[in-house]
Amino acid sequence: MTNKKRVALGNGLVYLILLAMTVAVLIPVLWMLSTSLKNDTELFTIPPRWIPEDITFASYQRIWEDYPFLNYFMNSIMVVSLSTLIALVFSCLAGYGVSRFRFRGKGMFLTFLLVTQMFPSIMLLIPFYKIIQVMGLTNTHLALILTYISFTIPLCSWMMLGYFQGIPKELDEAAAIDGCGRLRTFIQIVFPLSLPGVSATAIYSFITGWNEYMYALVLTQSEKMKTVPVGIGQLIGQYKIMWNDMMAASLVATIPLSILFVFFQKYLISGLTAGAVKS
Amino acid sequence: MLVLIAYPLLYGVYISGFNTNLLNKWDFVGLKYYIQILSDTEFLNKIWITLKYAALVVAGNFVVGMSLALLLNREIKFRLLFRAILILPWLFPDVVVALLWKWLYNPLYGLFNYLLQSLHLINTPIEWLDSQHFALFGVAIASVWKGYPLVMIMLLAGLQSISKDLYEAAEIDGCNKWQLFRHITIPGLMPVTLVVLILETVWWFKHFTIVWLLTAGGPINVTSVVSIDIYRTAFQSFQFGRASAMAVIVFVICLLMSYVYRRLLETNDQ
Repeated sequence: MTNKKRVALGNGLVYLILLAMTVAVLIPVLWMLSTSLKNDTELFTIPPRWIPEDITFASYQRIWEDYPFLNYFMNSIMVVSLSTLIALVFSCLAGYGVSRFRFRGKGMFLTFLLVTQMFPSIMLLIPFYKIIQVMGLTNTHLALILTYISFTIPLCSWMMLGYFQGIPKELDEAAAIDGCGRLRTFIQIVFPLSLPGVSATAIYSFITGWNEYMYALVLTQSEKMKTVPVGIGQLIGQYKIMWNDMMAASLVATIPLSILFVFFQKYLISGLTAGAVKS
Repeated sequence: MLVLIAYPLLYGVYISGFNTNLLNKWDFVGLKYYIQILSDTEFLNKIWITLKYAALVVAGNFVVGMSLALLLNREIKFRLLFRAILILPWLFPDVVVALLWKWLYNPLYGLFNYLLQSLHLINTPIEWLDSQHFALFGVAIASVWKGYPLVMIMLLAGLQSISKDLYEAAEIDGCNKWQLFRHITIPGLMPVTLVVLILETVWWFKHFTIVWLLTAGGPINVTSVVSIDIYRTAFQSFQFGRASAMAVIVFVICLLMSYVYRRLLETNDQ
């Protein structure tokens, strides 16, 4: 009996901790939602209310009409999807190449991929700023795309490598015997099998780009070229901070990621962790 | 890839040898900036602040992430639901996390002061982010809120990769729970822990967004982490050479830290 009681107590404790953490996660998120539904006067009432008396979607309307958020979103979507696509092509090819061929400097290449994660991104900020300036790309989408792929490709290649290694080489060999060329083997046989890995890599790259703030802040100065994080970030610098508009914009900015995540969560988690767990 | 990463890197080192505005002024100064920076107590103090911040965040991430991973690895009800909610903060962009916490910490209308006051724990509102004692913790707490899910996911995957047979065999040999944890779970988790620890330390050491938007280094520089200092030196006072030299020093520190970790944890392992 005592043993059973102890187990029950232990389980109770487990749920208690999990519940406490869930609350700690949800309170800020719900507060955000509640703030975004308030009107300007209720925003500053004391004590604050959880459920606003006068629920209004005005903030959600304002971010599109009074602020150039439509513009920010278009910029973000453009930059992030293109950079994801490019990163994906390169990392698939690099990952496949490394997983199937032996070549000189392979070990060094792999170490290099990991070491790139150790660079403080702030260290590359100044050189990138200058290089982009010299190339005449300041205030263009291309500038951001170039910088984003430079830090997503290494880790994406690493993730893809882990995935390709899990696909037996015998498949390649069988295809070769049947007369498939290397490229065709890759496109018709290996690539379809690695779709879960590819989607994990794509989401990783998408999230990284979507959330990036520092480079976008430095590399795009014109209002027309700003991305969502920079757009939201500059709301705080204004004389009067409209928290309801800001929270509405923040929630809207999080939606694309949440949708992606809901659909691909299984792949993303296994893809992200494969490299780390194996090495 | 070499072009995209190695070239900018070397170019950064190159810039650090010049007194330059990146446009028309390029005066070679050699190692002058390095000597200046390293003998500057102000800079060393900022490195110290950054170390404190990174240590707080990484420790927080690991304590929270590890305990949640251990709990979620058990057979419990609603495991998937808990996992989905607990991962949530990871999906919020840094900028959003920063703004959200700034609003929560708001001394007049923020939620924290309201909650604490309604529980009668405090009488007057606290100015969280303007207090010299609390600001660094405040920033660190917001960062942990954003950062622990990644540690949790990684460690959870590490836990699940440990073979169940090992636990069964050890139980047959009469090991108790603590011994199982000590001799199977910990060594099994070691490789993942090492990778995550190194990456986390480097990430948070160089972190910019959350600190910049929450406090911009204030009050009176108590949260002035080194990346903010670099940003200011480069893009507000336009001393690009000096800023590059700082960045190179930060890079060296990051490399040293990962080296030390590797040595410590690997010897521990054997």
